[in-house]
Amino acid sequence: MNFPIESTGAFSFSTGMLMTFLIGVGFGFFLEKGGFSSARKLTAQFYLRDFAVLKVMFTAVVVAGIGFWGLVHLGMLDLEFTFINLTYIWPQIVGGLILGIGFIVGGYCPGTACVAATTGKLDALWCIAGIFFGIFVFSELQPALKAFQNSGEMGEVFVWQWLGVSPGIVLLGAVLMAIGAFSLGTIVENKKGSVVQPD
Amino acid sequence: MIEVTNYRDNPLIDPHLEIWEWQISVYLFLGGLVAGLMILNGLWRIRDREHETKAITNSAVLWAPVLISLGMFCLWLDLVNKLNVYRFYMTFQIKSPMSWGSWILFLVYPAQILAVAVAKGSDVFGGVLKGLNPLLQILKSITNGREKQIAWLNVVLGVMLGIYTGILLSATAARPLWNTALLGPLFLVSGLSTATAWNMLSRPTKIEHSSLAKWDFSLIITEMFLLLLILIGFLSGTEGHQSAGMLLLGGGFTAVFWIFVIILGLLFPLWLELREMRGHSTPAWVAPALVLLGGLALRFVMVQAGQVSHLPDTELLFGAVGH
Amino acid sequence: MSNEKPKPYWSPYMAGLGLGLVLLLAFVIMGQGLGSSGAFARLEYTLLHTVVPEHIESNPYMAHYFEDGANPLSNYLVFLVVGVLAGGFISGITANRFKKSVDKGPRISVKARFFLAFFGGSLMGFGARLARGCTSGQALSGGATLALGSWAFMMMFFAGGFLGAYFLRRQWL
Repeated sequence: MNFPIESTGAFSFSTGMLMTFLIGVGFGFFLEKGGFSSARKLTAQFYLRDFAVLKVMFTAVVVAGIGFWGLVHLGMLDLEFTFINLTYIWPQIVGGLILGIGFIVGGYCPGTACVAATTGKLDALWCIAGIFFGIFVFSELQPALKAFQNSGEMGEVFVWQWLGVSPGIVLLGAVLMAIGAFSLGTIVENKKGSVVQPD
Repeated sequence: MIEVTNYRDNPLIDPHLEIWEWQISVYLFLGGLVAGLMILNGLWRIRDREHETKAITNSAVLWAPVLISLGMFCLWLDLVNKLNVYRFYMTFQIKSPMSWGSWILFLVYPAQILAVAVAKGSDVFGGVLKGLNPLLQILKSITNGREKQIAWLNVVLGVMLGIYTGILLSATAARPLWNTALLGPLFLVSGLSTATAWNMLSRPTKIEHSSLAKWDFSLIITEMFLLLLILIGFLSGTEGHQSAGMLLLGGGFTAVFWIFVIILGLLFPLWLELREMRGHSTPAWVAPALVLLGGLALRFVMVQAGQVSHLPDTELLFGAVGH
Repeated sequence: MSNEKPKPYWSPYMAGLGLGLVLLLAFVIMGQGLGSSGAFARLEYTLLHTVVPEHIESNPYMAHYFEDGANPLSNYLVFLVVGVLAGGFISGITANRFKKSVDKGPRISVKARFFLAFFGGSLMGFGARLARGCTSGQALSGGATLALGSWAFMMMFFAGGFLGAYFLRRQWL
């Protein structure tokens, strides 16, 4: 098999968008199942009361990461036709920080705000309105911020390249890190009895 | 668009593949919706059930003329020679669906006004329109005792309007996607479905809501069945029909058709209405809102995809117009 | 309408496994990860472009999305987010979690919560555009592909969260 299938021309753009929609259904479904439609559950991560954000995200990253690099290793997934986030280290560091602060202030991130809105959370609608406003502000100011947004450009660079090891080592490290963080998190959760459930 | 005739010998049709934009889709959607409102309202009255309604025979009746006017406004926006609109009514061309349509639209208004006159209660108009109530009383005294006839008039004109919104497209032989006899019935059923949805959003009584949900359930299934037949028809048809069908099955309109018309516009509301009937808690407005969205998407897909679909050269009747 | 009790959320590992497989599937089928903030931007630019086209065209950053008559909504992320809305709704309603409500801590008023939600959202909209992606586009998708900048983003995201949490105890606890 040659992955991504999209690059083989097996289906039209429009058919691809239908599949994308179905992928999105899965995305939204599992986000909601994980409890990411609740701002209280999401933010409880940062008060060390509910480790769902870390557990869900890291499990997903590790599962997808192993699958992704496994397929690349087997020569089945062609990196050339795969979208890899380019590294612009400074805007990513600053943007990540702003997003993290925005997350604890707003209670959701953009994707989870959508999911929360579909389960009737009115605060998520305000959060979405805010996201639109923030995008508007940035887009208006972008000509002035352009130099910074393009600073620290490193192109398509992977953590394992930067560390000078193989992808497998990095993934192994991520798995160990995940197991450690999950165990610690579970101990804390059990001690406090603070996992958030819907009411 | 060139008024009255819309066949392929019309020089504008072929070189410009997309001369009908959103206006026509919205017009066909609103036309179908109003047709459905007229039919539902008429049928409800014929079955002597208006004493238990609020939405179907009251608010819907008031909305129908507003919505059809909005649709006509869209249609008028689309006309090239906006002042020539009166010419529709200087002639009647038996072979032109557009001529039929303009006359049906002309007759729809009085029927709707009569329906307003026989609507329950004397305080149909409130707020700004309160001044119209004395006029309504006069109309009421004239129409008194003729409710059934008025109901039938609305049903008949509603069916004509609903089918016409489909025929308008299917009469264009040079567009294989429209060239199916089932387009009229499809648009009629879809119009009825959007009308039940509209009523479900107009704060119906409990009795109304459960009837509307049941009707909508059957209408959605009927609509899916018609769409299936249409698609089978395309695939087993001529080369032109097959390529038209492929526009929806892998071609350029696959995503919009399957996501907005089939999944979100039909399957989702069907599932939600089923949930509701089984007593699971379900927000009542979601299914009808999706039905309305799906109805609009269906008109959009059919109008846009239909304009892209064309006969292969071998089937061209008028070879003079190039691609 | 019956009043069924909301079902508890899944185990985070099961949800994470599902999410990871969906993410992998996205790469395998479409060659792209998951994301959402791009869809917000595209919808916003489209709306702005219909209202004030000249203004958008005069800003190269936004005008870029309309180059050669392109339709910004005819895009991977847009269809993905439409799916996210449907998927979130399916999961929420089948678990009886659909409820008109305001998710907030016990010590804050609804108005204050709305204000902070809007303000936090503004920060995120700004940050996501600056960093070329949000939690899903950068941390989740970029994280799985082991892109260096995305890992830096992820670390800073958690850092920002913990930093802000200190000042916002009143809102959540």
